[in-house]
Amino acid sequence: METVQETIGRSASEAAAPPPVRKSVRVRASAARAFKVFTEGIDTWWPKTHHIGNSPMTKAMIEGWVGGRAYSEPDVTQCSEVEVRFTPATDGTTLVELEHRNFERQGAGGASMRNQVDQPGGWGGLMELFRAEAEKEG
Amino acid sequence: MNTYHDAQLDALGDATRRAIVQRLLRGPVSVGKLAEEFPVSRPAISQHLRVLKQASLVTDEVSGTRRVYHINPEGFESLRSYFDQFWSIALEAFQQKVEEQ
Repeated sequence: METVQETIGRSASEAAAPPPVRKSVRVRASAARAFKVFTEGIDTWWPKTHHIGNSPMTKAMIEGWVGGRAYSEPDVTQCSEVEVRFTPATDGTTLVELEHRNFERQGAGGASMRNQVDQPGGWGGLMELFRAEAEKEG
Repeated sequence: MNTYHDAQLDALGDATRRAIVQRLLRGPVSVGKLAEEFPVSRPAISQHLRVLKQASLVTDEVSGTRRVYHINPEGFESLRSYFDQFWSIALEAFQQKVEEQ
């Protein structure tokens, strides 16, 4: 994380990179279920037009999230980064917040993913750095 | 998703072009300077810049005898919109799935 933070820090002379994409959704499910569906069940909801299947990216995501730690390739400065947080509310719902940073470092996306899944620097190497904090229910 | 964003994502699908973009995010730079900094021939640098320019990710201007390239903020804002839309669709699909009984 330190490396990435340093890299995205900008001085006044630098061109402005676009701000991160931030999205959130409140789901009627426990944080544990939301986390499980998001990670293990990713193939059941990920838009088909952005299929990833059993790609290296899927593995990277699962490994990163289930381990609850950053999953990184040797050069994390060349990666975009997605962080997902699962925050349970007292009414039994869960707030899922997603932030996609440095997407200008994206190796591929959308339709391009179909062709670039397994290419070096492609979708497989796209989100080499994942971080998630899932609060487990007591 | 449209051909415009396809071109942008394809342009960024190359590691050298991503590195050039990273360099330009630190400030405008001439083709010659890029060729000095990168382990790639000048014609190759020019070709990469052409692809990035066609994808509206960079623009260029002539400064004296040099051609200087810089980031095109409008193109990047468009790319950001694409990801914004993409994650909306993805999270909506996720919500539907997670709320299934």
